[in-house]
Amino acid sequence: MESLTSGLASGLASDLTSSLTTGLVPALVPLVLAGLLGWTGAVKLFGRGTVRQAPKTALARMLRSSERTVLVLRTVGAAELVAAVGLLALPASVGSTAAAAPGVAAAALGAGFLGYLARARATAPESSCGCSAGDDAPITWRTFARAAAVLAGGAVSAACALGAAWMAEGSTGADGAAQPWWTVIQEQPFVSLGFLLLSSAVLVGLSADLDRWWRLPLRRFRLRLFGHPFNSAAAGGSAVPVAATVELLERSLAWQAASPVVRSGLVDHWAEDGWRILQFTGVYEESGEEGGAARPVAVLFALDATVSTDTTAEPAVRVAIVDADTGEAVAAELLSPAVRPALPLAG
Amino acid sequence: MTAHQGISSAVGRRRFLTRTVVGGATIVGATALGGIDADAAFAAPQPSLDPAFAKSSFVEGRITRIDGSVLQVLGSHGDRACVQLTNATSIWKGEPTTAAAIDTGDGLYARGVPMPDGTVAADAVWVNIVNMATTIRGIGKNRLHLSHGHHEIVGNVFPGTTNASYAGQALTSDLSKLRIGQHAQVLGAWRPSDDSVDVVRISVGH
Amino acid sequence: MACGTTSLWAGETSWFCCGNAWGPCSSAGGGACGTCRSASYHGAWPNASQACWDITRPDLCGENIPRRGCGSVMNVRHQCSGATVCITITDCGPRTKSWCGEATCCNGACRTNRVLDLTPAAFSAIGNLSSGMLPVYIYE
Repeated sequence: MESLTSGLASGLASDLTSSLTTGLVPALVPLVLAGLLGWTGAVKLFGRGTVRQAPKTALARMLRSSERTVLVLRTVGAAELVAAVGLLALPASVGSTAAAAPGVAAAALGAGFLGYLARARATAPESSCGCSAGDDAPITWRTFARAAAVLAGGAVSAACALGAAWMAEGSTGADGAAQPWWTVIQEQPFVSLGFLLLSSAVLVGLSADLDRWWRLPLRRFRLRLFGHPFNSAAAGGSAVPVAATVELLERSLAWQAASPVVRSGLVDHWAEDGWRILQFTGVYEESGEEGGAARPVAVLFALDATVSTDTTAEPAVRVAIVDADTGEAVAAELLSPAVRPALPLAG
Repeated sequence: MTAHQGISSAVGRRRFLTRTVVGGATIVGATALGGIDADAAFAAPQPSLDPAFAKSSFVEGRITRIDGSVLQVLGSHGDRACVQLTNATSIWKGEPTTAAAIDTGDGLYARGVPMPDGTVAADAVWVNIVNMATTIRGIGKNRLHLSHGHHEIVGNVFPGTTNASYAGQALTSDLSKLRIGQHAQVLGAWRPSDDSVDVVRISVGH
Repeated sequence: MACGTTSLWAGETSWFCCGNAWGPCSSAGGGACGTCRSASYHGAWPNASQACWDITRPDLCGENIPRRGCGSVMNVRHQCSGATVCITITDCGPRTKSWCGEATCCNGACRTNRVLDLTPAAFSAIGNLSSGMLPVYIYE
């Protein structure tokens, strides 16, 4: 019984090792990873955005120099490109431990990214990642997930290469040998394509800097399909909002005339008989021989509730300045037209 | 005073003020003042807010405590201030409102007059007000997804309350012309509880 | 350096926050000059440097705004009320190119294009923050 169990376990382990080293997934993971590293590496190494984005990255905060940051970003980009080329050119099917080097390098890059991101998140959470240099998106869970994917992909590639090397040493037949990605694609084109599309979609989804290429168009398409959620009919018709009346007032001659008295923002507003009443508070300093007294006042404006800056540029506004306690009208002289000499103007 | 009496007295006061302003007020407008050269008038040494504002002070920070009508404010750079609300203080929190709407933890900007005891008697208080240059990243039911610098912000939209301005036109409650990808200036009230923003007005360019 | 009375420019101004701050502004930082604070009379100018100009591009709206770097001072005057505030330039902005042709008027006299951003302290000294936008004359 014991031997049966151990035999079963050994068979399962062998199957698992075999599927991991000879299957579709281990052959294509390096390809996907090479695509990702090739893209981010090329953007960092050759992209003009590297210089522009470098000062905004968390790395710049750590290194305290934009020039050093650019140098580090370019170097990392070059390392990513070398790893990508290695992953493409040295598949596990080579059957030697050397084939594990690109996977190990990719895993090391992934681990390095994770460490950098954790440090950046702790010390400069508002900075951008700099992960693809053209990217000014902040460090979020997606950034971490993508770095973790690089680490995992690198580990899988390295493990498969080592497994293949170990199997190559232990067997002479070609049956158990791992296949390179180009052979797998030739033999299983549809399944391979499906896997590549799926894994690329996941990586694109984890890349915040690619959002504008898919997320925004998708949202636009959804609006076109289901209609704009804010249709004009639901907005309360053509009524002029209070804010539009305030805007009209603040650009009127009445506001100019009363502004020496007004101190507050809008205190209250209400509608009555087609008028929109806007109430402010202020202080009226009576001019007198002894300097005058300051009286708290209410400054009231009445405007046609149906007009806005779209319909009139020079509204007629009724204005009253009344004593806050007694309700007595004050400051009439402020509301009279005055002759004012012109001064040199800008513009 | 009961709540009912309070409401009736407020309504009575509004009626009185309406009669005052509509009935006997001065009409100021183009027809009343004739052909004043607007530009010349603006540049003239007219009575302006300068003298008063020279005496005014400004307070910024988070409200740490509310003692009756006094707000204790901790400035963002560590300074402390006391803001005294008065009957004449205008209070904005998404809309003109009253002191009852202010909560501990709210952000505040206040303009007022410094008092001898070190407090600031507020003329105007804006609570949680934000004005951000954003890009519209998504339009959902009752919300906008906005990007502001490195941040993604949810903008809560209230049909009929949220207003929009298109290419400098007057504010309207019609939000149907908002488009994904547009640059938008968003003036709104920040919600400390979930870090979202209630959009009060959204202005989009050309 | 004191604020002067020589005409410099005219246009629209909005407001923004900077320095340590609360809410969505908390990430704003000290601005392009590193010294910007919401509670000080500061402002952002679209041509504070060449790098700044490359972002704001006011020329695309026909505004060939002159260079005024960090520390420049300006008098900003509300076109409608005449209220004035003296500010120091401590940041780059606004992004003028996104708002070409937008106008804010006073009795039919209009100022076009966003040419200035003010801190809440400066903006509230000449207008109300809830207004969001003001037409201004700028002197130096």
